[in-house]
Amino acid sequence: MSYYFAIVGTRDSPIYEAAIGNPLKDDGKHLHQFVLHAALDFVDDIMWTTPNMYLRVVDKFNDWFVSAFVSAGNVRFMLLHDSKNEDGIRNFFTDVHELYIKSLMNPFYEVNDPIDNPAFDLKVRTIARRFL
Amino acid sequence: MSSALPTYSTTSVSGGSINNAPPSSVSAVGATSLASGPLLVAEPALFGLLIEMGPALEAAMTGGAREAVFFKMEMLGYNVGQRLVERLAKDHARFTDTLDVVKFICKEFWMAVFRKQVDNLKTNHRGVYVLQDNNFRWFMNASGATTLQDATQAMTPFLWFPCGLIRGALAGLGYATVVMAESVGIPQCTFQIKIATGR
Repeated sequence: MSYYFAIVGTRDSPIYEAAIGNPLKDDGKHLHQFVLHAALDFVDDIMWTTPNMYLRVVDKFNDWFVSAFVSAGNVRFMLLHDSKNEDGIRNFFTDVHELYIKSLMNPFYEVNDPIDNPAFDLKVRTIARRFL
Repeated sequence: MSSALPTYSTTSVSGGSINNAPPSSVSAVGATSLASGPLLVAEPALFGLLIEMGPALEAAMTGGAREAVFFKMEMLGYNVGQRLVERLAKDHARFTDTLDVVKFICKEFWMAVFRKQVDNLKTNHRGVYVLQDNNFRWFMNASGATTLQDATQAMTPFLWFPCGLIRGALAGLGYATVVMAESVGIPQCTFQIKIATGR
């Protein structure tokens, strides 16, 4: 049960990344970023077809799925996972979105800045443990 | 240095989610219940902050022209608008086109910030929108001038912050815009939004 989660900003730069467990251990950890960012093209296509923020599974890589969630300000939340758990993943995205909004409220944090706060990281992992 | 913990947010400290309505930090006079639910700011305190912003910036920017003060107020509004819109649009469906976005600004955003909706929206369908508010809340308690002309003249600089607010909100949703404001007589004011149509 391992996952790789990333938040991609409005200009397609990664803002935050977390590996929970150790997905894709055979191919190498660098592949996580590659797969998620390759899936961004699919997110860009699919996001215009629906007014929902949660885009479900947008791409498949071997036996891994990429799910995506796009916020109102075009910040993408992407998750690499191997099991289908739509409700859990939707709740996970919703909670992380709220967490992201809370960090936005910090006047020193600009949009698209990387988030390297350990408290944020801890909270994301807690949310992951709860829903995934 | 980016901290994930909110510094200005007035959402409830007990880990409550931002889902608790009302979502803004600018509403409700005198409601300071310590029970669960978002902490609210008394409106007179907000007015005090807004009105003081003009003279304080002018004093801080020694030797600066008035335009520099306006620019700063607009940038302050821009930053606030960017963050606020992400929070307010959280439960709204994603936007399909610019008219949708402007309608959101006129209704939900205006309701959250000014506790009313915009009274009149006009557009030329080519990227220019005019928002008219006949009873602008932030002008409600302005006093001190004898004639309507003088009062309008005095309050016009304070329209820069709401301009920035709108511009920031639209930027937060992905649209680069130019926002201008004018008032023919307080408490009425008009905001003009020009969105680049990408032609």
